Amino acid sequence: MVTLEFRRDRVLLRWKDQKYEWVIEPRYWRNPAIGVGLLASLPLFVSAYPNILTMITTANLYAAITIPLGLQITGTARVNFGPQLYLGIGGYTAALMNLHLGTGPAVTLLGTILVCGGIALLLSPTTWIAKGLYFSLISLILPLTFLDITFIYGDIFRGEVGLVGMSPLFSLPKVNWNYIAYFYLSLGLMLFYLLVCDKIGRSRFGVSMAAINENEDVARMMGVPVDQYKVFFYVFPSILTGIVGWFIVHTFRTFAGVTYLPLDFMTKILIIVIVGGRAFLYGAIPGAYLISAVEDSLRMFGPINYVLFPLTLIALIVILPRGEGLWGLYHKRHHRDYYPVLHVRRD
Amino acid sequence: MLRVNLVSKHFGGLYAVNQVSFSVNEGEVIGLIGPNGAGKTTLLNLICGVYKADGGSIEFLGTDITGLPSNRVCRLGISRTYQIPQPFSAMTALTGVAVSVINGKRRPNMSLSDAALEASYYLEFVGLFAKRDTLARDLTLYELRMLELARALATTPKLLLIDEVMAGLNPAEASRALEMIWSAQEQFGFTILWIEHVMKIIMSAAQRIVVLQYGRKIAEGPPGEISSDPKIIEAYLGSRYAQGR
Amino acid sequence: MIETLHSILIYTFIWGSIYLLISLGFSLICGVLRIFHLGYGATFVLAAYAVWTFMEEVNLGLIPSILLMLLVQIAFSLAVFYRGVFQRYLDQEEILLTLSILIFVALTHLANFLFPVTAGVSIPTTIIDDTLVIGKVRIAYQMILAALAGILVTALYVLWFLKTRTGLVIRAISQNLPAALLMGAGVNRMYHLAMILSVIPPTICMMMIAPFWGVDPFMGSPLLMTAMLIAILGGLGNLKGSIVASYLIGFIHASVSFLYVSRFMGLAALVFTLGVMIYRRGGIFAGETLW
Repeated sequence: MVTLEFRRDRVLLRWKDQKYEWVIEPRYWRNPAIGVGLLASLPLFVSAYPNILTMITTANLYAAITIPLGLQITGTARVNFGPQLYLGIGGYTAALMNLHLGTGPAVTLLGTILVCGGIALLLSPTTWIAKGLYFSLISLILPLTFLDITFIYGDIFRGEVGLVGMSPLFSLPKVNWNYIAYFYLSLGLMLFYLLVCDKIGRSRFGVSMAAINENEDVARMMGVPVDQYKVFFYVFPSILTGIVGWFIVHTFRTFAGVTYLPLDFMTKILIIVIVGGRAFLYGAIPGAYLISAVEDSLRMFGPINYVLFPLTLIALIVILPRGEGLWGLYHKRHHRDYYPVLHVRRD
Repeated sequence: MLRVNLVSKHFGGLYAVNQVSFSVNEGEVIGLIGPNGAGKTTLLNLICGVYKADGGSIEFLGTDITGLPSNRVCRLGISRTYQIPQPFSAMTALTGVAVSVINGKRRPNMSLSDAALEASYYLEFVGLFAKRDTLARDLTLYELRMLELARALATTPKLLLIDEVMAGLNPAEASRALEMIWSAQEQFGFTILWIEHVMKIIMSAAQRIVVLQYGRKIAEGPPGEISSDPKIIEAYLGSRYAQGR
Repeated sequence: MIETLHSILIYTFIWGSIYLLISLGFSLICGVLRIFHLGYGATFVLAAYAVWTFMEEVNLGLIPSILLMLLVQIAFSLAVFYRGVFQRYLDQEEILLTLSILIFVALTHLANFLFPVTAGVSIPTTIIDDTLVIGKVRIAYQMILAALAGILVTALYVLWFLKTRTGLVIRAISQNLPAALLMGAGVNRMYHLAMILSVIPPTICMMMIAPFWGVDPFMGSPLLMTAMLIAILGGLGNLKGSIVASYLIGFIHASVSFLYVSRFMGLAALVFTLGVMIYRRGGIFAGETLW
């Protein structure tokens, strides 16, 4: 049966003949605990301003999209310029299932996972067929093609207006409580993704993943089953992104492809990756909050914000320290940690 | 143990390897020599599965490995070092060897800390334990070659393919590297197929030598025979010296 | 049936030639500078809206506007893209690509802000305002002239690359940069020249197709997509590949439109490209050299 053992610095779980080890080092938990506490206490200060609550919920969702993207880029050794494809697929699946089949959020979640997983599995050969640059271009084109499809079948996808009126995850008596609850849910989702991706990154799979990112051929020669890992590292983050789409559908209760599929949205995510820093798992959070804050504050300028936003992002990229980004400003450089480097053009 | 049968590989119109056949028996040290461009590294790449052979077959321990992907070849027990060291440059030495430890053979129950422990054994064996936390791009050439050796040993190979490990090392480092290879062979017991340019080393180390030129095998035999064969002298130094002998 | 075949052939010729113009600049930059110019869509937007601005706000005639716009295009691509982005971030590809996209997005939204679709932007470059009837197919003269312009410009470019000394230098740079440097090629000047050359075909394209394609601020995106698809299919940076791929994609678009429903044109082209990638990983003319 399952046995739990507590050693001095780790927890061991034994099940049949397998063991799972979890190293607990209190001094490494202090800073993350402070960070999570800070994030969790945010609503206390802004509970009177629903638009700020929406802003930080959106920030959590941006981070939740970027974190699996970081895992995907390192694990497949390819830069994916179209992560929002699965956001769109997941969102539309959830919305259509909810509106046409009348299923609740739990069933649509299952449907989202299955559809996203299936399509990702179908498209996963591109990770080992297409050379680095070709893969990036194809991944750039795919969301735009999907957007085209949503316009082609406009009667189903409702084109520019999108689908509205999906059932919410829950309804609390006071409207403000809904906003706060959605914030905590999105925070939970983001932190869960962070935990999962971090655990994968710090495991034996993460080390093999880093080897693939460094030099695929040498990794293969050292016994890493590269093709299988690439499929996993393409499909799994795609499913996670799809789940974010599901969340958006049931939180904001509207979903239009034009918001999430074109280049504008993709640049936001890419900026978070770049601005957040090369350690894109943790850097995604400050990056996402920054981008969300910038986006929201520019909105007060009216329609010209569509021009100002890219210009501000350009300024951010140019000004912030290269490579390390926001995370680098904080993180003491531990040379034992692995910082993946983005290579777009590679064989 | 390893049987290479009439293996050919061409790139465009050029035959890099042209119907080469030889075999390697267990426990031997086979040297593979030849002038530059003879196709030695290509042959190694063919054995390892980096290239797919256009003709012929390669058999290892009774299994046909022609065209198998490199990770399957590694699991069967072949490992290699590279002519120009190819470390995982942004990873530390320990992590790099840990990759081999985890993936070199089936390890269903190994955590990263267990792998790091085993990797440190290999690093200590080659003498890099003090540098285990240095990034691979900060190591010197000798240390890089030792790291390559440790990484290859960590996959527990039955056959080790060594590609010009002495290139660029000064005589002191070269003799240390040679000692390291010998002690590794004693300790872990594997067969070696060794590409080398430094004649002194390969002639004294190998039991049998295979000579390639322009992709073809021109001679095979014990070192004594090879060093006095006029064909080999002509291949390396030109016909003037061959006739002079 | 014959009529459909007829239409398909004619429109393959027309669209293929127009796509030549669209993808020529992109392939050129890919092949010579080895950079993915994801801000390429900006050339189309800038072309149309700069001419409109000069004609409407500054009240210049058509020809002076076009000439001035050409100068603006060249200045923009050299100063903003080449100096500002490519040179500075050559070794950090993800930043380079993101900045290019951001510049394109900013320009698109600026055009949309200043001249939204309701402003009725149009470029009066119709040369012959009539239609030609070939068999049962009626085509506008403007389309035919656009196609001919595409073939002419491509032919001029190919001849220039093959026959002149500078063309030879550029081809050398695209095939093997270190060797070209050793041979004394003025690489920086050639890069500037390549940037300038890459701006001209999309400008001509925009001028010729504006009357029948219409001008809207967001047209840069689909045109960039087409250019990228053609580049992927034909082999990145290869002019031969671009020529073949343009007509292939034109053929696919035409067949899907006439044999099935035109809504699926883009999807069919993408599926075809993915299929080709399975068999030839680098596109049709893999090799990443200019010719």
